[in-house]
Amino acid sequence: MQRGDSLNSPFVPFSPNPSIQQGTPTSTPPLKHTLSSSTSSNLRYSSSRKSIYDRHLNRSQRSELSKASFAFLFGEMVQYAQKRVNGIADLEKKLNLHGYSIGQRLLELLLWREGRSAKRETRILGILQFITTTVYRSIFNKPADGLEKSRDNEDEYMLIDNDPMVNSYISVPKEMSQLNCAAFVAGIIEAVLDGCLFPGRVTAHSVPTEQLPAKTVFLIKFDEAVIERESVLG
Amino acid sequence: MSATKAARVGEDVWKTRIDKVNAELVTLTYGSIVAQLCRDFEGDYLEVNKQLEKMGYNIGLRLIEDFLAKTNMGKCANFRETAETIAKVGFKVFLNITPTVTNWTTDNKQFSLIFEENPLADFVELPDDGRAQNELWYSNMLCGVLRGALEMVQMQVDAHFVGDILRGNEVTEMRVTLVRIIDDELPPGED
Amino acid sequence: MTIYSFYIFDRHCECIYVKQWHQRDRSFRPTSSASTVDSPVTLSSDQRSSTSSKLQNDVHPTGRGGRLSVQDDAKLVFGVVFSLRNMVRKLSGPDDSFISYRTGSYKLHYYETATNLKFVLLTDVKMNNLKVVLHQIYVNLYVEFVTKNPLSPIEHPGGEGVAVELFEMGLDSFIVNLRPHPPLRRIQTNLVLNREQYRIDIKVS
Repeated sequence: MQRGDSLNSPFVPFSPNPSIQQGTPTSTPPLKHTLSSSTSSNLRYSSSRKSIYDRHLNRSQRSELSKASFAFLFGEMVQYAQKRVNGIADLEKKLNLHGYSIGQRLLELLLWREGRSAKRETRILGILQFITTTVYRSIFNKPADGLEKSRDNEDEYMLIDNDPMVNSYISVPKEMSQLNCAAFVAGIIEAVLDGCLFPGRVTAHSVPTEQLPAKTVFLIKFDEAVIERESVLG
Repeated sequence: MSATKAARVGEDVWKTRIDKVNAELVTLTYGSIVAQLCRDFEGDYLEVNKQLEKMGYNIGLRLIEDFLAKTNMGKCANFRETAETIAKVGFKVFLNITPTVTNWTTDNKQFSLIFEENPLADFVELPDDGRAQNELWYSNMLCGVLRGALEMVQMQVDAHFVGDILRGNEVTEMRVTLVRIIDDELPPGED
Repeated sequence: MTIYSFYIFDRHCECIYVKQWHQRDRSFRPTSSASTVDSPVTLSSDQRSSTSSKLQNDVHPTGRGGRLSVQDDAKLVFGVVFSLRNMVRKLSGPDDSFISYRTGSYKLHYYETATNLKFVLLTDVKMNNLKVVLHQIYVNLYVEFVTKNPLSPIEHPGGEGVAVELFEMGLDSFIVNLRPHPPLRRIQTNLVLNREQYRIDIKVS
């Protein structure tokens, strides 16, 4: 069995006798942990430590990092996206995409953690409550500040956050006053909704008030199919 | 400053002066950034490494100010002290981890940081396309952060990974080398 | 007990931020290098209306026509500060740094971070030492609003300077509320209060 030291050498197990030579699939690099010869994966794992599949998923549930780390990372994400787009709508779309991929994974994680008591949400109000409390609490340690239904449109709902954490360090210059970096959080919400089969679009809008200058409203617009389903369910 | 004192300062600042956020959010955000880079550069992992390092550099320039503001530390006397401060205070304050400092060279200009745990790579498995495990350093942003941060305090360093658990190595190890001390800049016209 | 002006210089010897609240009495100066002397600093077309008569909003450090006095001032201040700092280091080792100096008409307070960022405050002669205040400005205002803001650059080529609104508003209310002989605790509570106050002020102005 190959051991850790051979992982660093270019040596390929070779013997002129074809019955002895270890099988080497054509597309692998020369370094190979032969323990995994039976699987189709060619990934190497360290000999002593286990892989991520041996770690319990709840291990990092309560762990915390500094808010500054997230702020710097998010800021860099915004700057990188800014270089590759022209226009604020595009920038918000990129942030939305980032949030989307995070939301997908977060949804899986949260539902798994709920375990047996996890309920599949079928009503609009149910899924929105899930987002307002569970999802929000898991990322921001506090529930969202409000949930409202639009009076004019059947398919529009509004989720209110008085002070979105992602915006706390961002001061938008005047020429980009349309930008709201909470598009990132909108992406998370959209992914959770999509994953629970409530397709729609989520956008972030800032509505500063006297007391709450950073207040943001996430406008959730559901697809036709969802509204129809909701009315059928009664 | 000795290692124990640095550790104590790190713990102290972490407990009292840091606003905290859910670690998984940071993990997922970092993952999203790396994934986006891999898509943008269409699998050219060497380019992704470079880009991660550059982004880390930009972060490092800002991070050092926040670090100095939070920990109230002045300049370190020598490179050994710098290494201890980075490992016990710097990483503790931002990522809540304390890598170990080892493998000093005799001229005290190079050391290794061994990471027992890496919150940025918590749920990660590298893609199985035969190249990623050979070319991509997933946490390369940390190298850039160190380079940027130390440059703001007049030290030019080179930092790179020499091992990563995600790539099948035994430990995640980063090698940091002091290239030179940068002198203070003089205003134009003066000498 | 008045604050005259405030400067920030970065490690490339550039002035990246200037703010003046009062003109100091220039009649003391033996040679006046400023072209516009005692009148209030004239403002350009993008002037922001001040909420209090004590404040005079400042100009951008890249001098437009008629603003040479401010830029000259900044250069002079930097020259003095830089030479003094080097002299102190040569005399008493690389760890020491000068804290303030006083003349007949003003007192200059100085604070330098480990990243060679220099904060300078000019006040009247009766003020106590304000190094702590400068440190507070660095920790609570500069790092929070400028360094952590991804949309504001860290390097300022060509003297672009710091142009972050939250930072300026915070600085304004912090300085305006600075009382003489403040105990350290009170400065901090002032700052905490003012964070809320200036957030509301955004609407008022």
